[in-house]
Amino acid sequence: MAVQSDVMAASGPYDRARALSAFKLGDITFYWITRACAISVLLILGGIILSLIAGAWPAMKEYGFSFLWTQRWAPSADPPVLGALGPIYGTLITSVIAMMIAIPVGIGIAIFLTELCPQWLRRPIGIAIELLAGIPSIIYGMWGFFVLGPFLANTFQPFMIRVFDGVPVLGAIFAGPPSYLSLFNAALILAIMVLPFITAISVDVFKTVPPVLKEAAYGVGCTTWEVVRNVVIPYTRVGVIGGIMLALGRALGETMAVTFIIGNSFRISSSIFAPGTTISAAIASEFAESDGLHQSGLILLGLLLFVLTFIVLACARLMLMRLERKAGN
Amino acid sequence: MTDLSVSTTSPSAAIPQKSLPEAAPKVTARSLNFYYGEHHALKNINLTLGTNRVTAFIGPSGCGKSTLLRIFNRMYDLYPGQRATGQLMLDQTNILDPKLDLNLLRARIGMVFQKPTPFPMTIYENIAFGIRLYEKISKSEMDGRVEKALRGGALWNEVKDKLNASGLSLSGGQQQRLCIARTVAVRPEVILFDEPCSALDPISTAKVEELIQELSEDYTIAIVTHNMQQAARVSDKTAFMYLGELIEFDDTSKIFTSPSDRRTQDYITGRFG
Repeated sequence: MAVQSDVMAASGPYDRARALSAFKLGDITFYWITRACAISVLLILGGIILSLIAGAWPAMKEYGFSFLWTQRWAPSADPPVLGALGPIYGTLITSVIAMMIAIPVGIGIAIFLTELCPQWLRRPIGIAIELLAGIPSIIYGMWGFFVLGPFLANTFQPFMIRVFDGVPVLGAIFAGPPSYLSLFNAALILAIMVLPFITAISVDVFKTVPPVLKEAAYGVGCTTWEVVRNVVIPYTRVGVIGGIMLALGRALGETMAVTFIIGNSFRISSSIFAPGTTISAAIASEFAESDGLHQSGLILLGLLLFVLTFIVLACARLMLMRLERKAGN
Repeated sequence: MTDLSVSTTSPSAAIPQKSLPEAAPKVTARSLNFYYGEHHALKNINLTLGTNRVTAFIGPSGCGKSTLLRIFNRMYDLYPGQRATGQLMLDQTNILDPKLDLNLLRARIGMVFQKPTPFPMTIYENIAFGIRLYEKISKSEMDGRVEKALRGGALWNEVKDKLNASGLSLSGGQQQRLCIARTVAVRPEVILFDEPCSALDPISTAKVEELIQELSEDYTIAIVTHNMQQAARVSDKTAFMYLGELIEFDDTSKIFTSPSDRRTQDYITGRFG
């Protein structure tokens, strides 16, 4: 035994040093490869921003900041008049309505699936949610066009008009001639499209709540609702808000389905049942036959969408930071 | 060197020498059986927790101690496929009654877990949360209740200046005492401890044990532990369980000095388990 360990001690330092230096080379290579991957993201992002700015430059020079609050969009006038207020309004309104519907429903489904659902029903509902995420957006568009649009125009809108007739603000929101293509139709389709994001992420983070923590809450006598409200959601709020932001990002940028059913009208109407447009829908429907200042204006719209999405994500970060501070971390 | 005098008066030295008078029954189990699906986990358990007594449950891992505790507050109800048969009474209430209001039951029978489980909120809210479930009281009254509970959990002096800090910012031992305070705040009749010290260092353990002794003046206590010395130090009665059966249930002093069953003897002397 003693002899053996002596031999090992003698040959040890040399072999070890060589083995370690081989590792070191591997480590350095690994470090640079991963670093290059990370940097490439920055380069791509920067490249996209630069090319957007370059493309949008003529329109920026021509219209300046008034681009943001001009409602008129007349690319064929001479000289063309371009204003982004309509698409910006449409983008924000459809996304806000979509989130107002999708957040409660999505989180509700997640709570049901993780806390209340009997075991045998879990898989069917889970699979249905995943399939919902897998449907191509053009199919949502067609469905909204042929099924949801007629229903909204013929049944839902008349009902809302009757209920809110004469009510000051709400009356105006639901008023107007029926139209198959409308902001609300688009918002509803968006809500269905982003629902799986919110549900899937919420389910995943709800599952990370330690069972013993839930048991402790049940142990002081909480009902299921109280456990969810006071323990599960506070414990997972960062993840849930992350899911919501991912969904909002998708809703802001969704193009195909929205282009199909929103009506592509640049006029701003007080009614959510009137046709409208979003930034991405405007670009998609006009980019192919545009040139010169018109095309530059569309690229500027794209840049605006980029900025809008960035602002939303930044706000989400800020909100999370304030929540953390409130929780006393 | 003055520390020496303190250590001799610590509760760890106090093994109850003679048995206490028989206490009025608080929780009574009669031919209690428990099943995890097909697995018969507890077999024909008969025992009584005396009012304001500390009852310790010892036995090797997997013998059903924690399972038994989780029947007392129906925690097993959260999981499908687990069921109990037989009779289990809390005073005059049938704990196994399917129509029983579980929230009310769990308000009467509090539980402290193996790992500290502070809720993701401030220290103050951790306590106030449970109280608010049952009572509508004013802010000043709530302040009083929170302070009382934290004093009850022997934690007040350590946290009184940072009640708005997160419960998660405390050390492990402090978190566990916060959980005890939270349980006490709801004013239960029975408190169940499921290995409350297994994640704590010796100093925190001593504090929690001291606390359990104090609490036994007002509450009926059941404690599951793997630490035989702990069972000897804190409990009045001890139940030895093995393979889902209650082997022996007697005064702690008797169990640890002259057990009547061979298996109890083997376990407490460390021959198995």
